[in-house]
Amino acid sequence: MTGLALVLPPFFLLVFFILVPAAEAVLDTLRVERGGQIVYSLVRYAEMLRTVSLRRSVVFTILVTLASVGVTFALAYALALYLRFSKGWVSTLLGALFIIPLFIPTVIASFAMVTFLEHHGYVATLLHTIGVEDTPSLVFNATGIVLTEVWASIPFATLVLLAGLQGIDDALIDSARDVGAGALRTFLAVVLPLNTVATVITMSLLFIGILGSFTIPYLVGGNAPQMMSVVMTNYFTNYLRPDISVALAALSFVIAALAGAAYVGGVSHRERGAV
Amino acid sequence: MRNCFRIPKRTTAFLAVVVVSVLGLYGIPARGQMAGVTLYISGDTNIQEMFDKDLLPLFERETSVKTKMVFLEHGQGAESILAKIIAAKRTGQQTDVDLYETQPTFIAQGSSEGIWTRITKDNMANAAKVDPNRPEVLVSNGFGIPYRGSSVVLAYNSKYVKTPPRTYDEILAWIKQNPGKFTYCDPQTCGSGAAFLYVALYKYGKAEDFSGLTYDQARESAWEPALQLLRSLKSNIYNNGFYPNGNVAVLQLLGRENIYMAPVWSDQGMSYLDQGLLPKDIKLVQVSPPFTGGDSAIAIPVHAEHQASGLMFLNWLLTSKAQTIVVNKLAGYPGIDWKYMPKDVRDKFAGIAQNFSPLPNAKYQADAKRLWQEKVAGSGQ
Amino acid sequence: MSAVSAALRQRAGGLFWFWSVGAFRRSLPVLFLAGLAAFILGPLLSLILWAFAGRWFYPALLPQEFSLKWWDVVFGNRSVVSSIKYSLMTAPTVTLLSALICLPAAYAFARFQFPGRRFLLLSFLSANSFPKIGLYISIATLFYRLHLMTTFWGVVLIQLMGTLLFMIWIPTGTFRGINRSLEEAARDVGASSARTFFQITLPIAMPGLLVAGLFAFLAAFDEAQGTLIVGSPNYITMPVMMYTLVLNYPQPVGAVFSILLTVPSLVLLLLAQRLLRQGYLAAGYTL
Repeated sequence: MTGLALVLPPFFLLVFFILVPAAEAVLDTLRVERGGQIVYSLVRYAEMLRTVSLRRSVVFTILVTLASVGVTFALAYALALYLRFSKGWVSTLLGALFIIPLFIPTVIASFAMVTFLEHHGYVATLLHTIGVEDTPSLVFNATGIVLTEVWASIPFATLVLLAGLQGIDDALIDSARDVGAGALRTFLAVVLPLNTVATVITMSLLFIGILGSFTIPYLVGGNAPQMMSVVMTNYFTNYLRPDISVALAALSFVIAALAGAAYVGGVSHRERGAV
Repeated sequence: MRNCFRIPKRTTAFLAVVVVSVLGLYGIPARGQMAGVTLYISGDTNIQEMFDKDLLPLFERETSVKTKMVFLEHGQGAESILAKIIAAKRTGQQTDVDLYETQPTFIAQGSSEGIWTRITKDNMANAAKVDPNRPEVLVSNGFGIPYRGSSVVLAYNSKYVKTPPRTYDEILAWIKQNPGKFTYCDPQTCGSGAAFLYVALYKYGKAEDFSGLTYDQARESAWEPALQLLRSLKSNIYNNGFYPNGNVAVLQLLGRENIYMAPVWSDQGMSYLDQGLLPKDIKLVQVSPPFTGGDSAIAIPVHAEHQASGLMFLNWLLTSKAQTIVVNKLAGYPGIDWKYMPKDVRDKFAGIAQNFSPLPNAKYQADAKRLWQEKVAGSGQ
Repeated sequence: MSAVSAALRQRAGGLFWFWSVGAFRRSLPVLFLAGLAAFILGPLLSLILWAFAGRWFYPALLPQEFSLKWWDVVFGNRSVVSSIKYSLMTAPTVTLLSALICLPAAYAFARFQFPGRRFLLLSFLSANSFPKIGLYISIATLFYRLHLMTTFWGVVLIQLMGTLLFMIWIPTGTFRGINRSLEEAARDVGASSARTFFQITLPIAMPGLLVAGLFAFLAAFDEAQGTLIVGSPNYITMPVMMYTLVLNYPQPVGAVFSILLTVPSLVLLLLAQRLLRQGYLAAGYTL
């Protein structure tokens, strides 16, 4: 019960400032006026799912999020492995470098990405000098969102994965290699399983963060399809339909909750394993 | 384990000391000095500069009422300010927003909540000088007062475009002949792109049907061919159908000669030319039928903390002296009728900017933007 | 895109060979790492060039004309300074307050069994996963009722919401990773619980707590949407400023703004680098 008492203060904050307002907002989307009376109905959600552009946006959001998580994870894992198992000035330098995006506010990161990747941007200019003409714009489309999300997420993912890797005893790896396991096999059989929790945390938090991000898709995304967060804002501000906006928010929350469940599942799985 | 409960308390005390001393170092400011009037202004940089450097200092000198301005980039953040005003009304409190300049559609959105002061010549003398049939007034359900106006015009690069289009149809023809050299910004992010959309809609449905106060969704079926038309343009738009975010992004594409033609706001185009951010070859013309104009109005919340100062500021803003500054700075047209403007200003500007099509009302605008997103941008290839 | 990511994944797998000997194998990771470094630094370098560009037209590699004229434009704007001040006031306050509220909870999540533990832990995820736009009106209403609108503490509270997740999840992992037998051993030799916590548990947990604090700080520092509703017109913080200004100015001005507004974060970056290099993080994250 002591535990519960300690947990309650932040939980009350959460209930009061997030859960109750969210519940109120979602309840509002269910209330419909019919013949002068307020009834509860799912018509708004039905309308939302009937609208082709909204369906497309949901699919697009999930795909972009998965792609960003996948690329970030692959890059961050490689980087974390290098930082964990390699010493020397390159490692030190990289260790200082990869962390930078964490400290750059997302508005600025997106803005910098635009100057870097746009039509006639810096990448195009560099390619032009080595003879590649007419590089298309790499921003204002799905590629731009994925690249910027990856850029912004690498520090977080690498930090978590690296921390997991630091916890693996060198002796375990040495003994695996002593019995003749190759590097890849050592990685798959020893390192990866021992780093499961870090993997689960990285994946689920990246997923939730990227799914809900607004600034990056707003600034570097294209016109259509758009990420759900941008569509929500459009419905709220431009189409004068805050009800659909909140309905979309609820859907986005449900998708994020699945990733949250994966996190808790992963963490408790480890607990059982440890006991 | 039992005893552990005491520990966090110690930590708490320790951290509390840290918090207090840190706050002591920073010095928490008082709730802000009582500014005479707090203005929330949205627009682009030229508007911000005009208020910061010209209007506000002059007003403070003349009236010795202090001002405080919160500047919102066009559209961004405007919805949260509206949410804030509505929330204050619902909880029966005053809001710090004494005066809110925003898109007339936002003002219309709040009018059903009863958050705006009805401004007439009885509570603000200069209201009499404003034409009640101005699009800004109509679109905002009568709660918005315009103080500046500009219209959307066609910008083209005379180095590449030797015979500029004179009509909307000629623009359409030019786009098809010169693929990739035209774009308009995403109508949800800017007025100049929205103007391009509305004029397309007016090609097939009469402007008068949509600019009044009535709303009938069934009428929107008349827009279908216009939306088809815009969709058919998509492959000829810059970068295979890229509609940038915001007015500024379009000006930058023009400046870098990525495109040769686009609709832009007359005031912004002029100020970019003045600052050397656009090449001298860029020319601005109005076409026929003209693009829409007027995308900004001021409203005053009924529950504004300093409502009287808000009204006083607005009244001052509509004097011919202040309006002359506005017209000169923005190269646009005034909020009050031209007949109340000094003769020299009238002679200098009256010709250019008066020519514009009316805006659709708030609900039609919202639907038009949504349909554009669904049927033009979101239509796939 | 998928081809690129497949290629990257392949390289990531190949990277593991670096600890086998062989010049060829060693050059692969070097290429990969150089590419990664270019990817991370490239956008920032392009930003810096833009900030000093007087005139810069494609396809020149460097601006045709360097100039400081855009810096004058920016320094003419006094609200930039005040926004930095407000950001530096709110974010540390939020971080400390968040630690105060969340760390006991994190300790409880790690050490105690109580009903609904897992559910409560999961619930904090919702603080970061319910899109804020759906909450605008409800939150503003609530803050008006509590008289928190346009106040410093209102801004602190709205930013605090975004830090709960980091301040609970990261320390929970940290505390859980500390071996109980260490604490028990200390108590066996007669140390009180408080002494045990402050002399054994806290020092071991500190790096993890600092990392949690860092993430909480950055979350508070980056919050714009809620701060705009609650804080304006008295507390316009840096990210709010950036939204209203960066996008709205010509590219070089945006670049100058960005560089100026990144300076406070860079100071923090230098401090954090040392923390990371000393290996604290490893202990903090041992899950």
